[in-house]
Amino acid sequence: MRPRGLSRLAPGCTRGHGVVRLLAPGFLAVAFSALGFAVGAAGPVTDGPGDYKGSYDSPDYVTRSFSLESRIGKKADLLAIVRDTPLGLPPLPVPENNPLTREKVELGRKLFFDRRLSLNGTQSCAMCHIPEQGFTNNELATAVGLEGRDVGRNSPTLYNVGYKTRLFHDARESTLEQQAWQPMINPLEMANPSIGWVMAKLREFEDYDGLFESAFGERGMDMNTVAEALASYQRTLLAADSPFDRWYYGQDAEAMSESAQRGFELFSGKAGCSGCHTIGEDHALFTDEQLHNIGTGYERAMAPAPTPRPVTLAPGVFVMVDPDVVAMVSAPGSGNDLGRYEVTGDVDDRWHYKTPSLRNVALTAPYMHDGSLLTLEEVVAFYNRGGVPNPLLDPRIRPLGLSEQEEADLLAFLEALTGDYRPLVLDAFVAPIGDVGSRYDDSSPP
Amino acid sequence: MKTRPNPIHRLRRSCTALALATSSALAIGMLPATVSADETCVSPYSPKITGQEQFVHVWTLGVKGIGDEQDKLVTIDTDPESDTFGEVIHSLSVGGRNEAHHSGYSDDRRYLWAGTLDTNKIFIFDVHTDPSKPKLHKVIDDFVKVTGGVVGPHSFFALPGRIMISALSNNKDHGGRTAMVEYTNEGEYVETYWMPTDDNLRGAEKTGKYADGYGYDVRFLPAKNIMVTSSFTGWSNYMMDFGKMLNDPEAMKRFGNTAMVWDLHKRKPLKIFDIPGAPLEIRCAWGSNYCFTTTALTSKIWLIYEDKNEGWTAREVGTIGDPSKVPLPVAFSITADDSYLWINTFMDGTTRRFDVSDPFNAKLVSEHKIGSQVNMVSQSWDGERLYFTSSLLGNWDKKGEADEQFLKMYNWDGEDLNLVFEVDFYKEKLGRAHLMTFNSNELFETNIAGKKEELGDGVAVAESTD
Repeated sequence: MRPRGLSRLAPGCTRGHGVVRLLAPGFLAVAFSALGFAVGAAGPVTDGPGDYKGSYDSPDYVTRSFSLESRIGKKADLLAIVRDTPLGLPPLPVPENNPLTREKVELGRKLFFDRRLSLNGTQSCAMCHIPEQGFTNNELATAVGLEGRDVGRNSPTLYNVGYKTRLFHDARESTLEQQAWQPMINPLEMANPSIGWVMAKLREFEDYDGLFESAFGERGMDMNTVAEALASYQRTLLAADSPFDRWYYGQDAEAMSESAQRGFELFSGKAGCSGCHTIGEDHALFTDEQLHNIGTGYERAMAPAPTPRPVTLAPGVFVMVDPDVVAMVSAPGSGNDLGRYEVTGDVDDRWHYKTPSLRNVALTAPYMHDGSLLTLEEVVAFYNRGGVPNPLLDPRIRPLGLSEQEEADLLAFLEALTGDYRPLVLDAFVAPIGDVGSRYDDSSPP
Repeated sequence: MKTRPNPIHRLRRSCTALALATSSALAIGMLPATVSADETCVSPYSPKITGQEQFVHVWTLGVKGIGDEQDKLVTIDTDPESDTFGEVIHSLSVGGRNEAHHSGYSDDRRYLWAGTLDTNKIFIFDVHTDPSKPKLHKVIDDFVKVTGGVVGPHSFFALPGRIMISALSNNKDHGGRTAMVEYTNEGEYVETYWMPTDDNLRGAEKTGKYADGYGYDVRFLPAKNIMVTSSFTGWSNYMMDFGKMLNDPEAMKRFGNTAMVWDLHKRKPLKIFDIPGAPLEIRCAWGSNYCFTTTALTSKIWLIYEDKNEGWTAREVGTIGDPSKVPLPVAFSITADDSYLWINTFMDGTTRRFDVSDPFNAKLVSEHKIGSQVNMVSQSWDGERLYFTSSLLGNWDKKGEADEQFLKMYNWDGEDLNLVFEVDFYKEKLGRAHLMTFNSNELFETNIAGKKEELGDGVAVAESTD
């Protein structure tokens, strides 16, 4: 076990040596290359979309694309990661009636990547929660479901989802087991007509023969064991032991840059971020699990008539497009979202969304419930402006008066929250992708 | 059966002969005038209908709330001497809304391969036993599995005994990285050829800044042993609401900016060209050494050609419209003498005629309004008849009253397009009209399309566990 229980240190305090030091990028590249992982200027294949689009708004953009064959997996001992909880995380809460077992996790992972579990065989959990894209989707502001339907909200990351007590942006669900079926029968997502229909389909898949029995004994395959298996896999996706964790909880004074250290002081001081993105004495989940109105939802719903906006046509090529043009090809009413109000009907809940964890936030762009902010720089600037004023704005959201240097420091801190996620991505690459006509063959290469 | 003078030709030999005569030429200017083109886009390995087409098959998307709501192959009588001229004479529903899109004949034109971009099913229709009543012959439903994760089978282009399929996406992230896939005429999977990416160019030369690994269309120049491909976008984009996508800056980065030439026989990519802004359809001057493509987003015409000094290269040769108006050039057709292009722009429902007799200088000649939106265009070999359909993609089509769904047939008199008949696909409870292919009884009665051993009637479905 790694050391825990350290109290927060005052700014500038010297810390002891940490357990793991941050590797220099060059070293990382060499190490991955030696392991046979594709490495490019965009980083390893585990570190984002394989068709890198950074600096796409510049005429100097060059592709740094990876072949799909470079997604070479390596199985991880996910239970060991849970047992030896990564530095900075509390012990993982596991329901008494669904203890983690290797068989359940394996089965849950198989279900997670099985596209056949949607109405027409095209959508799995992993099509919106893409492993190398932070278990979210870096390529879309809001998710696209069955037949291209507009899910309307940004796919949340699944890193450390096992700690959440309220799920979805509107906090309408409370456990992973209960949540598991929602996307499968939501007509906007996987759109199955019923739980029974999915169960009947699963029973016909020969590649599941015996797997539920191995995982659940006599209970075998039923709607609860499907949910429990999916919950078990997602519960193991723990990613912490970040530079921040090593600096703050591991007492490694050199684990986090000076800029990030200044950012931490802003985060927990002047900027007030930790009021909602909480940090504990011996661990941090960076969320209060509460819902707040910061104005993004209000702005989308209540903004006056749209004005011409830039649309990217090609690298470094933009045009201003008239909103009437966009309206011609837009489904009426799309994009409107009232947040928590849609669950409670309480007018005071309009445009309230749950506080996301900030762990691994550098991996999970674009940001906010609607993916409206593309970069962390935009996020910091948004809060520095004081969000979007509206009658229900959370009182903690106010202009922060941060200088450019302070914004940069805050950004450096957020980037220091990236944990040890690569084993989870590589493990996910091993998972068989269930496609129509699939026959599961454990001996086949991933 | 009405008699017509020599309506159908197997042009494969003439194309080859022409190619042999010109194979040493390296510059367009050195080539003699060619006689080959598309009808409008049938493979150079297939016989062509050079006379009156009798039927048009329209691969049609099912629409929720319209008729039986499922995809279907609609057959329209186009024989002006028929009592049912201009009418729907057959409709064959296939089950599901699969995002029906493009189709293409086998080299003998006896089977029509019709692809779907969402569920990845490929429906193979028997269109020779009775061209007026196509039958579903086979359904390939394990395309993604057997190809190793290729999603969105798009273009179907015939090789001798084979079908080359270009695709749009993959099953890992539903993004734009994808592959070319080869099948036998019998529907057996042969090979997957992944598009080059920076970490694995697969022997290709990256001539510019981009190697995105994206795909869209495919065409062959057999005489030059060249295959040409282009690039579009992945499932997430082509399936989502068009307006939603225009408002999503991340999504708008996920478009292809490349075209490629391949060694056709070896199926090896040779060169990757930068063609910014989603180069879509490719139309070639068959016996020559050049092809055109148009960019959907930047509204340009590009020429992919064999230069005397540079070898195969690409150059912008024309402007179609103002990109800020999002004209969205979509399908286009090349005339049989390679002198003109008909280029459709989806958003303004207009077709534009360009003079490309000098392929390096495409000149706009005229514009003709077709409807509130227009996507596909197919023209007869003699260029006297043009057919237009309306649907681009299920979620990209216009909304509300502007969502007209039609097939319109026009006569071209050299100056104007004169509407001859129109089929309202919503009024007929059919759906969204997409790709058109011509057919004629005479292809089979004259044996011009050859005869092969029957594969068996009825429907055969590829093995599946679900």
